[in-house]
Amino acid sequence: MVLVLALGDLHIPHRAADLPPKFKSMLVPGKIQHIICTGNLCIKEVHDYLKSLCPDMHITRGEYDEDARYPETKTLTIGQFKLGLCHGHQVVPWGDLDSLAMLQRQLDVDILVTGHTHQFKAYKHEGGVVINPGSATGAYSSITYDVNPSFVLMDIDALRVVVYVYELIDGEVKVDKIDFKKTATSQSAH
Amino acid sequence: MVKKRVPEWMNSSLWTSNPSPETEERYTPIPIPIPIPKPEPIIQTPPIPEPQIVKQQESIQEEEEEEDDEHHGPSFSPEDISRQSQLLAELSRKVINLLELRRLASQGIPDGAGIRSTVWKLLLSYLPTDRGHWVAELARKRSQYKHFTDELLVNPSEITRKLETSTRLETDESKLEDKGLLPRSEIPQGEHPLSLGKTSIWNQFFQDTEIIEQIDRDVKRLILTCISSLGIHPLQNLISWLFFYLQEALRRILIIFAKLNPGIRYVQGMNEVLAPLFYVFRNDPDEENAASAERQTHFLFCRVVKWIRDHFCQQLDNSVVGIRSTITKMSQLLKEHDEELWRHLEVTTKVNPQFYAFRWITLLLTQEFNFADSLHIWDTLLSDPEGPQVGTGSLIIGYVQETLLRVCCAMLVLIRRRLLAGDFTSNLKLLQHYPSTNISHLLYVADKLRARSVG
Repeated sequence: MVLVLALGDLHIPHRAADLPPKFKSMLVPGKIQHIICTGNLCIKEVHDYLKSLCPDMHITRGEYDEDARYPETKTLTIGQFKLGLCHGHQVVPWGDLDSLAMLQRQLDVDILVTGHTHQFKAYKHEGGVVINPGSATGAYSSITYDVNPSFVLMDIDALRVVVYVYELIDGEVKVDKIDFKKTATSQSAH
Repeated sequence: MVKKRVPEWMNSSLWTSNPSPETEERYTPIPIPIPIPKPEPIIQTPPIPEPQIVKQQESIQEEEEEEDDEHHGPSFSPEDISRQSQLLAELSRKVINLLELRRLASQGIPDGAGIRSTVWKLLLSYLPTDRGHWVAELARKRSQYKHFTDELLVNPSEITRKLETSTRLETDESKLEDKGLLPRSEIPQGEHPLSLGKTSIWNQFFQDTEIIEQIDRDVKRLILTCISSLGIHPLQNLISWLFFYLQEALRRILIIFAKLNPGIRYVQGMNEVLAPLFYVFRNDPDEENAASAERQTHFLFCRVVKWIRDHFCQQLDNSVVGIRSTITKMSQLLKEHDEELWRHLEVTTKVNPQFYAFRWITLLLTQEFNFADSLHIWDTLLSDPEGPQVGTGSLIIGYVQETLLRVCCAMLVLIRRRLLAGDFTSNLKLLQHYPSTNISHLLYVADKLRARSVG
């Protein structure tokens, strides 16, 4: 039972001041084992805050991140799942599923987490699953102003993942979940 | 059974010997209570209480100790043999007379033939007195324990999975197309991992992790002290397997107890009380009983803790049932029987009984003597023949406490000469590292204290 927090595109301080207080009250240290961050934090203070929630943090570089040392992509294994992380501005057209699927095959992962569009999405294709946690602060994106703050918490348990989606809609936190199992015949690229 | 070689002068039947539980033929001699007015206390390094657990466990697992088994000259007194056969006779009756059993047990239960585990189970009402009901009762307890483990030891992911598989069919999986948006679904009853609700299983789970961490630490420490005191490196294969298995079993017992009793939860020290129980049941020569040691220990542990739970609760410290008042009772008892000693201890040298009696009373004397001795003391504590037969909880607590206090008093009386001669530091040191003595004599004195106070 491993809890993994996936979030990104906070754009603090340029486009948003802070995480919504309702989200902040839920995110307490000690519950989460890993944090994966798609990028665009953008400053060190946010990095430190996330690090305080959980010491094991993985982050990739978004185009507005001030720390240039973050990698472009990252892969990690948690339990039986291979996760891939990338900000997404490198994948053109932005948010296009086929291109993301290409990236997923390239990284050879079961779950690909990307951002940049500031819209939550969870998509399944033959290669695996693509998850976009959206923007945790609700910052506007290059595409749209209408953004609901959202992030994702994954509960990885052997071959099964439960994805809890936290969204702030009209000032209230709404939680949904998505279930999926890794099929025995692995479909990753060779 | 691995035992250290003892020098010749210690080889008399005066000192207690270690039990060899797996051999039915060999009786280990129980020391005969010799009414010496003031026995010489043995100056030894403070007896380490736990090493015998792992020693015995190892012997059960490894079975290589036949040649190592050393006995003091086998002088079985006719009394020992008769007591053993009396107990066996009593146990094999169809309906066991609890009063008779108590009387026999209070003189001490011989260590062989796995009698102790059965007797303790009867004394603590785990088994009914009618032998015919044993099978049914055991089956019931087995299913109850399984129910506990299933319910209380699962993490929230599994709980949510069970919740939803009961409400929706698994065939949903196959309906998912190969490509497309993953369907979102409602979360059951607002349960999500970051939930801060009081009734949320996730929230409770995270709150419990603190207690579980403490239990882990204590159990690990308990077992490590045993192992390290034997000088064996914990990473040797067999030992590490043993270590792991023991740790898991003790851990589960304590976690289930903590979850079933949210009022008292887990307090450091309960692991020490658990150890003798687990040891006795694990070393039962009956295969089936040994395998279900964990379950039996758990139930009996709950019973025993009922007696001492008030001592563990911090809020009750100053109340009538709390630890302070029990210590005061002990002090009063000492004053009644030996005013000179009492005055010297409390007034002249100002040794506050809290300094030493706290550990004696809360941990039921498990820490003060070596392992075999504390088992013997527990025999007496559990089997007070004048205690209530069908006890209501508080009555039993009262009687057990009384016995315990008498034993504590006897402990003080036995070393009175040294105490009277000592000052604060030396007395405190002596009392906190109680010298090992002849247990039968100690219990004999404790018994005499009862007679005097009644008269």
